[in-house]
Order: sequence, then structure tokens, then C-alpha cells
Amino acid sequence: MPEIHVERLVKQFGGQRALDEVEFRVDDGELFTLLGPSGCGKSTTLMCVAGLQRPEGGRIVVGGETFFDPGRRVNVPAERRNLGIVFQSYAVWPHMTVAENLAFPLKLRKLRRQERRARIEEVLALVEMTTYADRYPHQLSGGQQQRVALARALVYSPNVLLLDEPFSNLDAKLRERARLWVKDLQRTLGITTIFVTHDQDEALSMSNRVLVMNFGEVLQIGTPEEIYRNPADRFVAEFVGRVNLIPGTVAAVESGRIVVDVDGAGRRLTVDAPDGRTRDSSVVVAVRPEVVTLLPEGSSELNGTNTWDANVHAVSFLGDHYEYALEAGPLSLTVQSLRRLEGPRLKVHIPPDGCTLVG
Amino acid sequence: MTTTATASARELQRPKPSLVPAGLLQFLTWALVAVAVIGPFLPMLYASVRDRPLYEHGGVFSLKGYGDLLHDHAFWVAAWHTLQYAVGTTVVAALGGAAVAILVARTDLPGRAILGRAILLPLLLPALGIVLGWIVVWGPGGYLTLEADRIHVPTLSINTIPGMVLIEAARLLPVAYLTCEAALARADSSLEDAARSAGAGPLRVLRSVTIPMLRPALLNSATLIFTLAIASLGIPLLLGSQRGINMISTYLYLNWTNGANPDPPLVSAGAVVLLGIATTLLVLRNRLLGAEQRFVSIGGKAGRTALVSLRAFRWPLAVAILLYLVFSTLIPVLGLAAMSLVVVLTPLVAPWKLFTWEHWHALAHDGVFRNSIEHSLMISVVGAILTTIVVALATLVAHRSRFPARRTLPFLMLYPRATPGLIIGIGFFWAYLLTGAFGDYMRTSIWGIMLAFCVRDLPFAYVVMYPTLARIGEELDRAARSVGAGWWTTSRKIVLPLLRPAVFASFILMFVELLNDYDPALFLVKPGTEVIGTTMLDQFLQGMVGPVAALALVQVAATVIVLAIGTAVFKTRVTGGHDA
Repeated sequence: MPEIHVERLVKQFGGQRALDEVEFRVDDGELFTLLGPSGCGKSTTLMCVAGLQRPEGGRIVVGGETFFDPGRRVNVPAERRNLGIVFQSYAVWPHMTVAENLAFPLKLRKLRRQERRARIEEVLALVEMTTYADRYPHQLSGGQQQRVALARALVYSPNVLLLDEPFSNLDAKLRERARLWVKDLQRTLGITTIFVTHDQDEALSMSNRVLVMNFGEVLQIGTPEEIYRNPADRFVAEFVGRVNLIPGTVAAVESGRIVVDVDGAGRRLTVDAPDGRTRDSSVVVAVRPEVVTLLPEGSSELNGTNTWDANVHAVSFLGDHYEYALEAGPLSLTVQSLRRLEGPRLKVHIPPDGCTLVG
Repeated sequence: MTTTATASARELQRPKPSLVPAGLLQFLTWALVAVAVIGPFLPMLYASVRDRPLYEHGGVFSLKGYGDLLHDHAFWVAAWHTLQYAVGTTVVAALGGAAVAILVARTDLPGRAILGRAILLPLLLPALGIVLGWIVVWGPGGYLTLEADRIHVPTLSINTIPGMVLIEAARLLPVAYLTCEAALARADSSLEDAARSAGAGPLRVLRSVTIPMLRPALLNSATLIFTLAIASLGIPLLLGSQRGINMISTYLYLNWTNGANPDPPLVSAGAVVLLGIATTLLVLRNRLLGAEQRFVSIGGKAGRTALVSLRAFRWPLAVAILLYLVFSTLIPVLGLAAMSLVVVLTPLVAPWKLFTWEHWHALAHDGVFRNSIEHSLMISVVGAILTTIVVALATLVAHRSRFPARRTLPFLMLYPRATPGLIIGIGFFWAYLLTGAFGDYMRTSIWGIMLAFCVRDLPFAYVVMYPTLARIGEELDRAARSVGAGWWTTSRKIVLPLLRPAVFASFILMFVELLNDYDPALFLVKPGTEVIGTTMLDQFLQGMVGPVAALALVQVAATVIVLAIGTAVFKTRVTGGHDA
């Protein structure tokens, strides 16, 4: 299974830059996710790899074969790229049965009937749809259509699998199951996959690595843990998961740590941070709601560093946890807690290693 | 999930690219449409700036044609008549159509579903035949005219401009209805609901929300009706010219056919002027609405509760619409039927005393009549098939390809709709004259007339196909491309099969339109290449009213049968397209 190289991809839509030198590499057998809000260019990137949209500049190489390189006047048409794509709408051809849908790519590859049947059976077994071979798409549920779309994208053993928001038309429960299932399948087949989504949960739970983009620009590439724990900037922090953003000014720099004067709050926050910040520069500290520890007022645990008093503004019960809206001076904090703590005032502790500088 | 990928682990041979490159096919389709649509106008333009007809030798550049035209008093009189005629028709048809649309879409009018469909009949029945029917019943010596005279009821003569306006408006009213009904069906009814919950009564909602929402549709259809009225030839020729009232169209036609002193440069110049006006109106409409957004398929939200309760007016209004249908279709058709079976149609003698099979006998045995029916049927079948194929391909190129000039295709395919039939006729006349052996062949066979008809009516095919194509998700083509199908394979295996209902609908509509078309042929017809329309006009002007009535009836019957079959077999509405 091949690697995918995308280099300095540029695409304009009516003078608007849709892709701004997008660059990434997908390793052999990896599930690589393009994550971003709608209109960020992630689907455009995918369609450029597929050959269904033509970028203005850049290079696309898959498994050593150059698909697109305007410098060398190479632009392999979509139908010659041998990729499998699952579209957002599934795009299962409504006038063909499931088996006919799967047979179409095989007929184009001049497979004999016997061999076609064997492959179709095998792939339908893989997606657990064997009994539906003779159904038409309108007789299938959304989840089943999605499996057919996936089967069709796999039946001709493509080099690479491209998934364009494949779960967005499924309801929440089904989506979770489909996620696990696709991930399993991808791992079993070991097929190099690019997955496009705007859903951070999907991105985090399924991917080997995630690329976060916005306005056609790549913001960060990393493992799900890296993206979540060490977001490269404010946008990534806010887009992937929920976050408290605390603006402040650097009061002191120690090795590996800085102390931040939180703006207008009269409080100080010690933050684990790489060097390179200077005194008096302004920073934004990102703190995930679940890293904060909540304690009853007057508790003597965890006194000292990064422990503040805060007023409880509102509490919401969310099933597996409580969510507190707190106010520490002018600062609003969202904090998750497994326990319910009573009282109008509580103590919060923000561990220094749970803080990331994002600006 | 333990299935090991055995067979599928083997790398497959990649699909081979198709032998004919997609780009070539797309170019050929585009070129065919472009040449067919633009082709006929260039020779006409050329003919208009020569000092003598193109078939005479030694012509030089000259604006004499335009000079003669603009200095001819008769032209200005005709232009004034045309303006009155077109404005009158537009006002009556647009307001009438909008009113019927509101009644059908927003009130509890009895039988509104059936009325809403039947109202399209005047547009689909053969225009020329219906006019002849009118003349038979309401002309100077017509049955109803004589009857009204006898009991001393004053009638409006159809040989006046107001009379012609009524007949033209009755035919074009459905155009406004189609556009307005579609706009109402598309309109978000919650806008009206919001007004009601804010305290507005039903009539107030109608006045303050519904009717203002209709304004773009009304403007759109009014422009189209105006264009069609300017281009109209049959009604002015049969009703007006007989009494010396000429329009631009008849002025040009009579100048062309004037045996003693034909003036091709002047007629060509006039045609160019008329084409300029029609084109301007088309461009204006495109500005107003965007070239492709202006037609929609009629779906309508079923089960929407009526906004306005008509109460006591329910039945009177339903009867009024019914009367419109009776007058615009049933009475002319009955008149034709009666005329075809009597020696003279008159209220003074009991019709059974005048009964005769003579006209039908003539129809069955006279060579001219038989030939024209055969020719028309051949043109309709072959033309409908060819046009449907070409337009289906062109629609795919226009909306589902990367062909560089694809964006010109929607305009090219809609352009003939704005072009008066007589201009298409004049254009093709010159085009055939200038294209050597090909032109000679076309000029002397019915295929020359077929090509002109096909070009004129191809907008209908496009307008029927495009909305269906737009509803076929583009991801379906993309999926085919991704699994290895080229453009042509994708079109053939995925898009065209899905487009099938629209392709059939287009064929049916094209068949009917080609069968009933006549005005381009007036400039192309020769002895031996007659079609139903030209024969009817010709024979009628020679006084052969009876056989012509029978012929018109055949045309009406063929139209109704084909439409009925189309609707029943393909379960498609073939009535769309006229709002384009």
C-alpha cells in the first residue's frame, strides 16, 4: 500500500484562495484525517487528490506515481487514479442493484463474470451485506447504503481509500458504531486512507494522525493526543474539544515554566511551557475543562500554585459528569467534575502541565 | 472482520481509456448545437446588407434594405399594430395566468387539481388549427357570428386588434400560469403563515405577501409573452391581413411572398431588426432571472391547505376558468369537427341537411393532404428522436463536463425560444442557399424543414431535461469517475439512465411541437415538401375550408393522443417547458 505525498497544493475559487500551499504526507497503511470547519478546504483537498478537482499548483504523488504536477504537465484524470472514494451522499447509483453497483468498476476492468462474482461476494461479506446483493439502493437504510458505498470503493482493490464525511448523514447512535466498524475494516485491510470530517470526535477516535486546517491553511499535523493536548494555536484548541482561554501577561520566566498574570483577575497562573517567551509579552493560556480539579471551599488540599477561589454561576448535569460555569473575578471558566460539589463558592486547581500556550 | 482479503489482494489491471476522447465528443456536440443555432442567422445578416438577393449575381454591400424598411410607411404602421397587439396580449395573458395560478395554488377552488392541468391545453394544441377553428365559428361568416347577428347580440370581431389579442392571449395565458404556479409552489408557505399569525386576514395576506412574491415570475412571463406575441405569424396573417391590419411579422411575410415584387434584402433587414428586439428581450430576461434559474419543474406541495376560502365565489370562479377552457379549446375544436362534416357551416340550415363525407374523403385521397400528413409525421418522429439525443448530450456537456465552452450551451439552447419562427425560416432559407450541395439537398427535401423545426423547438427539450439533470446528484458521476469510468462511460451508464424519464418527456414534447410547428416552414416549403401547417394555411387561403378543418382535427387528435400516451406510459408531465 502506497504513501501519499501532497506538496504545496494551491487552489482558487473565483479569486478566493481555497487551498494555500497545503502540504502533508500520509504513511503506508495509515488512517490520516483532514479536520476543519465547513469551507476550510478539506474536501477540496480530498477532491484534488481524487482528481475530481484541479488545483492551480502543487504536486500530488501516490505510491511513487505522480498524479498531478503542472511543472511536468502531469494531471492523471480521476478515472485513471485507481482510488476508492466514499462520498458524503454515498452516491450509490440508484438505478443499479447493490451487486450491479459493485460490478460496474469490475466491468470497467474487464473482469470475467466468475471473477466478478467472487470479488463481489467477498467484499459484501466484508461489509456484512451479503444478503442485500439484489436490493436497490432505495430499499436500503442510510447505514446500509454507506456500507455499499464502502464495498464499491474497495471491490477493485484501489491503492488508497478516500472518505469524504462518510458519517455525516447517519444518526448519532449509528454514527458511533459505523466509526468503530470502518476503523476496524481499515486496519484489517491495511489500506492507506484519507478521511475528511468536521467532527472532532470522529477525527480523534479514528485517526492515526490528524491534520487540522482552516481557511485553506494547514494549522497542525499530529497524533490525536498531540492535537488535543498541545494545540498549535488558538483555533486548533477551540476547534478540537472544549477549552477555557485565559489571556494574560508573562510575569516571570523560569526554565520550562512561566508565570502568567491573568488579565484583570489579580491572579497568577503557572504554566508548563517551553522557553522562548519573554517577560511582559501577552499570552493566551488554553485549559481543557476536564483537567481542572474542583474542591469544596475551604479545602486544604492542593493549596498554593494555581489554586483559586471561584463563584458558581451555573451547574449542568450531563449524565456522566457535571459541568460547572464558574467565575473567578472577570474570568469565566468551564470545568468538568465527576462529583457534585455544593456551595456558592468552590476552589479550583489548574495543574501547570494541563496548560498550553496558544497565543 | 476476520475475512482475509484473498482475491481482492491481487492488483487489478486498470481500466483502459476509451477510444474516442471525451473532449472530442464534447466538442462535436457543442459545435453541432452552435452551428445549428447560430448558423442560420449569419447568412440572414449578410443578406440584409446586400443590395440584391443573394441568389442574384453581382451584389455589393449596401444598407439599402434597412433604408427601404425604415422609409416604408407600411412598416411603421405594422410596427404600431405589433406594439398594440403585443402589449394587449401581454397584459391579458399575464394577469389572467397569474390570477388562475393564485386560484389554483392558494384557494379552495373546486376541481383545482384538474383545472390546473387542463389549463395547459390551449398551449399544447396546434395553434394554427385552433385559429382556423375560431374563424369557422367566430369569423366574419362564422357560425356563432351569424347566430349572434340573428338574435341581435353585438360581438367583437376577431378581425380587429382587440379580437386578435383575445385569441393570442387565450393561447399564451398558460405561459404565465406555468411560471406563476411554479413560483407559488416553490414559495415558502411559512411566509404567508407568518403574516396570518401576525393578524392579517387571508385577503390581506394575498395582497401584501403572495402577490408581491409573484412579481418576479410575472415580470418574467410577461417578457416571454411579449416576445412570443411579437413573433406571432398565424393569427395576424389569418385574421389581420385579411382586413388590411398588418403586423411586422405579416408585413415581412407578405413582402417575401409577394410574387410580383419580392424584396429579400428588405425582408432580411426586417428580420434582423425583429431578431434584435427579441434578443434584447431575452438578454433582459436573463438579467432578471439568471439563464438557468428561470424554469423549474412543477412539483408543488401536496396537501397544503388553501389560504383563501372563496366562499360564494368558489363555483362562479371555477365556472369562469372552465368557460375559458371551453372557449379557447373546445369551441374551436367543435367548430372544426362540424365544419369537416358539412358543406357549409351555418345556423340558417339544419346541419344534418348539409352533412357530407366529402372533406374527409378529400383528406384521405388528395395527394397534398396525404403527403403533408406523412411528412409531418416523419418530421415529428425523426426530429424528436434526433433533437432529444442531441439535446441530452448537449445538456450533459453543459452541466456535467469540463468542456471549456460549456457555459455557452445553455444560452445557445435557449436562444431559439426568443427567435420568431419566421426568422428561423428566413435564416435557414439563406443558409441552405449558401451551402452548396448540402443546402440544395435540404432545400428540396423535407429534412430542411425538419432541421429548422428542430432548431426552433429544441429549447423545449433542454428545458424539460435540465431540471431533472440538476436533481441527479453530481456525486453520482464523481463516484463513477473514481471507480474508473471516463466521461462518456459515466454519461452512458450512470447519468443517462437516470435521466430517462426526462428524455422520454422531451421526446413526447418535441413530437407534439414538431407536429404543430409551421411558421419556419412557410419560407422553406416547396411543392412536394408540404407539412400539415403549410398545407392548412395554403389551402385555407384558397378557400378549401372543409378539408382544412378535417386536417386540423387530425392534428389536434394526434396531439391529444400522443400527450395522453406520454402521460400515461411514462408517468411524466410533458407539459413543462413553455415557461422557459
